[in-house]
Amino acid sequence: MLLAATVVVFTGLLVLSLPIVFCLGAAAVVGLLLGGYPLQQLGSTMMAASQSWVLLAIPSFVFAGSLMERAGMSQSLVELARAMVGWLRGGLGMSVIVVSYFFSDICGSKMAEVSALGSALVPPLKRAGYRAEDAASLISAGTAMGMLVPPAIFMIVIAAVTNQSAVALFLAGFIPAAVIGVCLCILVMVQAHVLGWPKDTATSFARLWRASRDAAVPMVIPIVILGGFYLGAFTATEAGAIVALYSLLASKFYYRNVTWMQILIMAYEAGVLTGVVIFLLAVATIFQYLMGLSGMPAFLGWVLAPLTGHQWLFLTGVALMTLVFGMLLEGLPAAVVLIPVVFPIAMKIGVHPVHFDIVQTAAVGIGLFTPPLGVGLLMALRFADVTVWQHARTYWPYMIALLVGLMLIICIPELSLMLPRSAGLIK
Amino acid sequence: MRAVEAVPKILVGALVLGAIGTMLFGVLARYILLPITNWMDVDPVNFFWVEEVGELALAWITLIGAAIGVADRSHFALAVLVHHFPPRVRRAIHYGNHVVIGAFALLVAWLGVKLMLLNASLTSPALEFSLAWIYAPATVGGLLMAIYAVKAARDPAEHTIADVRE
Repeated sequence: MLLAATVVVFTGLLVLSLPIVFCLGAAAVVGLLLGGYPLQQLGSTMMAASQSWVLLAIPSFVFAGSLMERAGMSQSLVELARAMVGWLRGGLGMSVIVVSYFFSDICGSKMAEVSALGSALVPPLKRAGYRAEDAASLISAGTAMGMLVPPAIFMIVIAAVTNQSAVALFLAGFIPAAVIGVCLCILVMVQAHVLGWPKDTATSFARLWRASRDAAVPMVIPIVILGGFYLGAFTATEAGAIVALYSLLASKFYYRNVTWMQILIMAYEAGVLTGVVIFLLAVATIFQYLMGLSGMPAFLGWVLAPLTGHQWLFLTGVALMTLVFGMLLEGLPAAVVLIPVVFPIAMKIGVHPVHFDIVQTAAVGIGLFTPPLGVGLLMALRFADVTVWQHARTYWPYMIALLVGLMLIICIPELSLMLPRSAGLIK
Repeated sequence: MRAVEAVPKILVGALVLGAIGTMLFGVLARYILLPITNWMDVDPVNFFWVEEVGELALAWITLIGAAIGVADRSHFALAVLVHHFPPRVRRAIHYGNHVVIGAFALLVAWLGVKLMLLNASLTSPALEFSLAWIYAPATVGGLLMAIYAVKAARDPAEHTIADVRE
């Protein structure tokens, strides 16, 4: 009864386009009242969830990402990627994948990344003879892969939801992202020969040197993050603050193209996004508590029982669910609604929590760019000016490459566990 | 009126910058100030308050940011069905949704008041401020959210709250 009422209220309000956080809130209130639990629990649980040292990393990384994008750091990364792989056939397409990896390293927000890469890369791709739908596919697939490259808001949230170290997750993401990146680059090489994509400009040592020098300022950030975490010098939250300070100094004194007023506006925007994300997480905490009381984990355990014989099978099933959730509900709601319920089952069958989190992060990234409803994909299409259906015909090979990468991450847990284990963060 | 409306926005921006500054002070104190005071053999700089202040700032950022999110329509929503409905139905859904948002916001504010009163005599471990401050964001943010819900309800009903971000 309790389960049915909360699910009906949640789903009913969801289809009426009420923001998800209020669907969760209304369902939680109904659940608390029907179950005879005190409403006070909503207030105390919500406030406890919103005071988290780990989640304090979110405003810093979002603020830093906005600053770097505004200062124009994405342009120098595009140039570096083109100098590195532009000489190959389809090199400009491949450079989209490479720059997505680099840019994800400095920018915590997928939407900011699509916007930066879409505006910087769609025009040169079109000029070089790539169709608009190819440009949208490259940007979508590259950004989906970039979900695994830290810092990502999703990783911070999933670390909080599953009670794991955000630093361990950040370190765990680098290699799986590279694996998906390689799958995509192989696809681009094949596509380049089939579709006759040209080589980009010829490269030279001087060009590579110049591009590396220009990109040195943004490239300091992944080095600081990777090195700092590996050496255990600071937490994810402190890393966020250090990256924010670095971006502020770089944009104010090196690029010199950001005013103090713009900085305050970016801080305000980071605050609103943080509020939206953490309020969702805080309200969802009480919803999860009710789901637990109403027997949802046991029900899902029964539904997923046929998959629990093999870890890879279970992870594949859950990843596909997360992918669909990610496409429909966007990444973060998927994390707070679905993952807490399936996580205990994963632990029961011996899946490593960090491996589980990385697989779900990859699945959410792919879901965000899955047609026809992935919000990241819709944004990329806006830049390329093509419709969902025009684009879907071109995008399916990229979806296959992304799914092959996902399967590799699922079947080879060491890809996710190698770096955090060697840093002594996990067993 | 516009100046009054700008207050929450300025507050959120200042809180974000303040929280970042606080975290930086924590890093600075641990890696620079503490070794210096140890070397000089004087009382170490106290930075145990950093975590407390950071978390308190985050609670305020969350509740006020979420309230502004109602005005900005920044909350995640599923927008696949409603825009297929006729305008009158859309308008009814628009008002209905904002009634739910406003009611939930007022509930949050009311729970915030109760928790403030319940914890007013307790103090935080490091800075020893009243714990009522920890629950005050629920009251202030809830009220602000209710005000923004009323304001947003009066806007044209064309919206589907789909400004979705990662």
